[in-house]
Amino acid sequence: MIVTPKELEKWSRSGKDLTVLDIRPKKQIREFPLVKLNHIKGTPDTIKNLEGEIVLICQFGIITEGMIIENNLNNTYSLLGGVQAWNDYLKENNDLSRWSRQTSLQEIGIEGQKKIMDAKIAIVGMGGLGCPAAKSLAAAGIGALNIIDGDTVELSNLHRQHLYQPRDVGKKKVNIAKKALEKISDNTKIKTFDFFLNQSNGVDCFDDVNIIIDATDNISSRRLIDQYSRRFNIPMVYGSLYKFEGQVGVFNTNGSIGYSALFPGQVSGGKTCEEAGVLGMLPSIIGNIQALEVIKLIINLKPNLIGRLLIYDGLQHTTEVIEL
Amino acid sequence: MMKVKLKCFSQVKYALGENEINYELKEGTFTDDLEKMVRKNAKGKLDDVTLSIAVNKKYISKNMELKDGDEIALIPPVQGG
Repeated sequence: MIVTPKELEKWSRSGKDLTVLDIRPKKQIREFPLVKLNHIKGTPDTIKNLEGEIVLICQFGIITEGMIIENNLNNTYSLLGGVQAWNDYLKENNDLSRWSRQTSLQEIGIEGQKKIMDAKIAIVGMGGLGCPAAKSLAAAGIGALNIIDGDTVELSNLHRQHLYQPRDVGKKKVNIAKKALEKISDNTKIKTFDFFLNQSNGVDCFDDVNIIIDATDNISSRRLIDQYSRRFNIPMVYGSLYKFEGQVGVFNTNGSIGYSALFPGQVSGGKTCEEAGVLGMLPSIIGNIQALEVIKLIINLKPNLIGRLLIYDGLQHTTEVIEL
Repeated sequence: MMKVKLKCFSQVKYALGENEINYELKEGTFTDDLEKMVRKNAKGKLDDVTLSIAVNKKYISKNMELKDGDEIALIPPVQGG
């Protein structure tokens, strides 16, 4: 069983009869002391000597959760997010334990999670790429999403655009997506822009935005996003599909080239998903790679796809990375 | 003569029916020459497709002379999303 820092604080205040056992090694306890919580220190064996309800505590809440499952312990809870989440909760009154599985990554941590929660991302196109990217970013705790699309849901969208259901056919994509995303994350502010991006309507879409995700389905829109990206100096995370293949790149970032420089002049790119066909899994993979690159940009995690083009082949499961 | 490898992506792969093709080319062949040859071999299937070029996994914006052992990628601007 799991208890969040917020729930444990409530139990502690109410005088609930329980034993809090910190099972971390001494070195870790010295480095990251557990504060403002009555507890005892011990090892996993200490549990045998305890009665009543127990809350087990480790650094990230992963070891204790595993112990409870493996040993089928009754009346025993694991503190979600561990000491890391508890101490931060006390410091800022903000329970980040929901994201404990990503904050336990050294490369992210509590500070990285806060950056994610402060970030504002624009997604242009709420189709095959935009839906999975938005879902993953909302679940990761992203602070705000501006979603831009003037389209309505069609029956043929549903196999790859998983924010929409059969009953949504004919309705505006951004409205349905907003509702679905708010169910995933109540801390992500979703702002909708119910139109197709053009030369003159993008200023509000990209106001105060940190990163733009290109999830469109045509070359002219990608060139337009590239223009806005360069004009407002906002990184562009490009994604695109052809049958079983996808491309992802991070453009206009730290001096890296843009889409229009990679594909200069009068560009023609053959068929769209509607014309060429696409399996639903491919946009989910590519949209999620775009979301991953967004997170890496937010927390400055390297290596990343800045100035590089990833080509993924869903048949061979091979990747090619081109330096741009 | 020199040997080079062409890596095919997206529309190029479907047009030529291969993931990779090894070519023996005359010394002094440039990337533009190879692109023209590929387009010819594609028999019209790439006529409406712009191609960017990478040599040895590095994008090039200008025509360049190929060397023995080079690996060339022709990259179309795919547009699905």
